Amino acid sequence: MIVEDDKIISNELKKLLDNNGYETSTLKDYKNALEEIINEKPDLILLDINIPFINGEVLLQSLRKKSNIPVIMVTSINSEIDEALSISYGADDYITKPYNPNILLLRIGAVLKRTKTNYGSIQTELTYKDLKFDIQKGIIKKDNNEIELTKNEMIIFSYLLNHQNKIVTRDELMTALWDNSEYVNENALTVNISRLRNKLKEIGYPDVIDTRKGMGYILL
Amino acid sequence: MKFSKYIKDNLYKLIIFAICYIINLLIFWAFKVDKSVIISSSFLYIICFLLILLIPYFRKRKFYTDLLENIRVLDKSYLVLETLMKPEFYEGELLYQALYEINKSMNENVRLIEEHLQDFKEYIEMWIHEVKIPLSTLVLMSNNHKEQFDKKTKLQLKRLENYVDQVLYYARSENAEKDYLIKEIDLSKVIKNVGLKNMDELLENKIDYIVGNVKYKVLTDSKWLEFILGQIVNNSIKYKRDIDNSYIKISVKDEDNKTILIIEDNGIGIKDSDLKQVFDKSFTGENGRSISKSTGMGLFIAKNMCEKLGHKIDIESKYNEYTKVLIKFAKNKYYDVLK
Repeated sequence: MIVEDDKIISNELKKLLDNNGYETSTLKDYKNALEEIINEKPDLILLDINIPFINGEVLLQSLRKKSNIPVIMVTSINSEIDEALSISYGADDYITKPYNPNILLLRIGAVLKRTKTNYGSIQTELTYKDLKFDIQKGIIKKDNNEIELTKNEMIIFSYLLNHQNKIVTRDELMTALWDNSEYVNENALTVNISRLRNKLKEIGYPDVIDTRKGMGYILL
Repeated sequence: MKFSKYIKDNLYKLIIFAICYIINLLIFWAFKVDKSVIISSSFLYIICFLLILLIPYFRKRKFYTDLLENIRVLDKSYLVLETLMKPEFYEGELLYQALYEINKSMNENVRLIEEHLQDFKEYIEMWIHEVKIPLSTLVLMSNNHKEQFDKKTKLQLKRLENYVDQVLYYARSENAEKDYLIKEIDLSKVIKNVGLKNMDELLENKIDYIVGNVKYKVLTDSKWLEFILGQIVNNSIKYKRDIDNSYIKISVKDEDNKTILIIEDNGIGIKDSDLKQVFDKSFTGENGRSISKSTGMGLFIAKNMCEKLGHKIDIESKYNEYTKVLIKFAKNKYYDVLK
């Protein structure tokens, strides 16, 4: 759910999230913000601090008394003190405008993953067709065959896997890599992708990563 | 207060006295007064005159010497009035009164200007927050509608963002109030954020962002440090050399009492003659003038902020080879004990 009173920005934000496979809604009635949020029970709230009638921080405080819905504070005030305050009120993350859309998406993904694993078991294994992908060890398994991935290949593969059947831009992959402190350049990304392709080919899946010219890659 | 000058100033008294004395002598002589009377009255005359001349000198001397000496000694000489006793002679009272009035009106003036400045700063901060809304809208739009906005637009937006940030942190770092928060933060996180923020430009300019082992903790304000590091990285991008293997290398040197963050690039470097001034306000130097339009504010603000946070920032460079910026963080042993 997006709580942001600037219409244009909230529309663009909605578009961004919709394009990336999230279901989004926006808060309509700022006078009864708390009730509307609680009735709708969103998985995550993007909360702007400067909203009409009620300050975002106050809203967060009163929300925390009733619910544990993950909240990412979105604000144009870039200061350590405000961040510390928001976190102490119970925000899960804090992002300052103007945010890089790729980073915003990463943060949303991270918060959702973190809060979800709180309920259930920690996800250590992803599956792709009949391949098992062990994230912690960085190993792809098929029956008794095992293939080891480097850290970069792992980040790329898990990102592609999480966005299966969707086009993933090079920008997004780059952001995901850099977000994991792997500061690779354009060439290295190309190299890593072709290595990943070779490894998948070895294990019996050639041509699963398709290049879409001028757009990016897609995992079929 | 110099005696000779005082005498010079009171020369007219001496002249009047001398004339009177001579007339008096003439009168005495005309009436054929006895010599002893002349001598004794002359004596009295001179004593009286000396007293009239000297008493005011000693009365005034203390006040004026204190005034001048205190003005010289005080680092804020406008506060001199507070250090003085109210004088007991009329001229001094007048001067004291005048100084008092001048002080009052100056204080009033200073207060007005301070208020103006404060208002202005508040407005600037507010304006920055306002301007970030359309800016973030544009960023989002450029991402959502890639067909209408190309990469160039994105890079221009990035520049715009950097300039807006510069204004914000300038306003903040000049503020007397404390609006930063020092706590223990992870350097690798700050370095990552700066990298992500400048990723597009680094990739576009084919500059490798090489990060060594930076898993160290330092005491600082992470937002401020992010800004400072951002300015340095921005400069490295701006002043890169036209070579194939451009890089920005970030590393940490851990010493006994301090942690040093080192940012090194193989850009065009800075000439020796310019090196000392790079942290000066509005200094652009040869690079700033010849390569790109530079405001000369980035490093100045960065240095200001470092001083506020208690870090030391140094720069080393060799023209046409490298530039190296070092930020030194003190380790606080006392803090370690408390943890």
